[in-house]
Amino acid sequence: MKQIHHILILPDRVVVDDQPVTITTQGADIVTELYRRYMNDYPKFFKMDLLSRLGLVAADILLQTEGAERGAERDDRAVVIVNRHASLNNDRAYEATIQPDNYFPSPSLFVYTLPNVVAGEIAIRNHYLGETACYIAAQEDVEPLIASTFNEHTTSVIGGWLDVTDEKEFIAKLSIWTH
Amino acid sequence: MVFAAAHSILLGEEHSDMSFVERCVYVAREAIEEAGIADNEAQTLLVLSTTKGDNLDLWTPALQIAQALGCTHRPIVVSNACTSGVCAQITAARLLATGPYKYAVVIGCDILTDFIRSGFEALKALSPEPCRPFDSDRQGLNLGEATACLIMARGEEAAGHWVYEAGSIHNDANHITGPSRTGEGSYRCLRDVLPTEIADLACLSLHGTGTPYNDEMESIAVHRAGLDSVPVVSLKGYYGHTLGAAGLLETIVTMRHLDSGLIPAAKGYQHQGTTYALNISAERRTTDKRHFIKLLSGFGGVNAAVRWRKQ
Amino acid sequence: MDSLKQQLKLQIIAALNLEGMQPEDIQDDAPLFGEGLGLDSIDALELIVLLEREYGIRLKDAKEGKPVFQSVAVMADYITTHRTK
Repeated sequence: MKQIHHILILPDRVVVDDQPVTITTQGADIVTELYRRYMNDYPKFFKMDLLSRLGLVAADILLQTEGAERGAERDDRAVVIVNRHASLNNDRAYEATIQPDNYFPSPSLFVYTLPNVVAGEIAIRNHYLGETACYIAAQEDVEPLIASTFNEHTTSVIGGWLDVTDEKEFIAKLSIWTH
Repeated sequence: MVFAAAHSILLGEEHSDMSFVERCVYVAREAIEEAGIADNEAQTLLVLSTTKGDNLDLWTPALQIAQALGCTHRPIVVSNACTSGVCAQITAARLLATGPYKYAVVIGCDILTDFIRSGFEALKALSPEPCRPFDSDRQGLNLGEATACLIMARGEEAAGHWVYEAGSIHNDANHITGPSRTGEGSYRCLRDVLPTEIADLACLSLHGTGTPYNDEMESIAVHRAGLDSVPVVSLKGYYGHTLGAAGLLETIVTMRHLDSGLIPAAKGYQHQGTTYALNISAERRTTDKRHFIKLLSGFGGVNAAVRWRKQ
Repeated sequence: MDSLKQQLKLQIIAALNLEGMQPEDIQDDAPLFGEGLGLDSIDALELIVLLEREYGIRLKDAKEGKPVFQSVAVMADYITTHRTK
């Protein structure tokens, strides 16, 4: 198994294939800045929670770096997300809508209270009909979990460590992996 | 090969005094004792299937459960929405095949909190009456609560046990909450795990939540996979939707029925309520066949299926 | 009525995170779903919450919401007749 491209997004730093990317913002604004620069054609981005935004943008930059043709359905590439905090940041936002004195549960926040939804968002954006998975695990187990995903159907994986603590602390360390 | 060495279930709110970790440890200890593997902690991996864990924390309880059971390997939590319990079986089988483990303690658990209840209410997914999966008058799902544990083992000799035959996960790439209108992901999962002879299948244990869209989607997937004639097992009428526990609970309950040659009645079902007719019955039936498929789908567009065979 | 429609447009844009959209981008009679703003089933449920939170109107489900959510003009009419706050 090898990584053919990799990206690191931190609240103050973005690196693609070991090349630093110039950014003008900090914190969660970085994710929006990257969206505007690299995507800017997917208004659904603004409906997503930070975990999904971060994963979607990171995946898109990786796929642009890969340079392969996109848009056609494919089922040979899996999306595998591993993290520590599941969807906790968005869970807190949903919890704020179910306070006894202000009880208006938000359906659009509730749907992002699952950490695997980001994998689904990447699959939808890219028409990936293959495996999507989310694990809460130790960072050391990212590679064994991704390696275990390969089989006769799955010949490449996009994924890695994608963790959001809050708006100020997050990390996307994703790669495209092949055999 | 990988086989099911033992299983254990803890149902519903009669155990509401127990915490998330206590429930998981309880079912695991029961199953570990039944499997007779109590002194193999160093060769045992914990795989936890949950969507919300212990009060939104999924990782800390996994560490606590592993510690209580004496498992020294780092645990793995599978959180793939409502398919988690089937995906956890697939993950365990894969890691058993390649990793340093001999046993996997696979536990599914979710606690029915106001957080979860309010969310499904906001999605208008809840049925005002006991749910009626696949029925023409179905009005939505019921939430349920369970903890279930399956011990999976790697070995050469599995006589009398259920053997893990195949597993598959596919995304619909369609919508994060709306089931695919073509049943795309579920169809692909079914196709991947079919036995050589469809006639060998005792039953299809479906997701059958009781929501109009899910059950319709499943009927389309079953039809596309050419499985219209295979008896359907639909268990949510008994237990409700137990979320992260569902895949394990429903796999174990299906195994237990087939061990006695039975296909459980589809509680709540009366009249055909899907475009394609399923082989489903409100009466209990008998079978002597040895394969079954467990299928689930969930938010994030994910679908998962496994096939087990009685040795 | 016009101020209600204006207010409603602002509330819809905020509740549904319609980034970059201004009230004048939404025509009073334009369909909200389908081609219109590209809204989906979750947006419909979020509009149900909006009606309850801002106007004290309770709709049972998305089916009941469908005729109400045809356009901003239809929504404003419905609010005027049914609002409890």
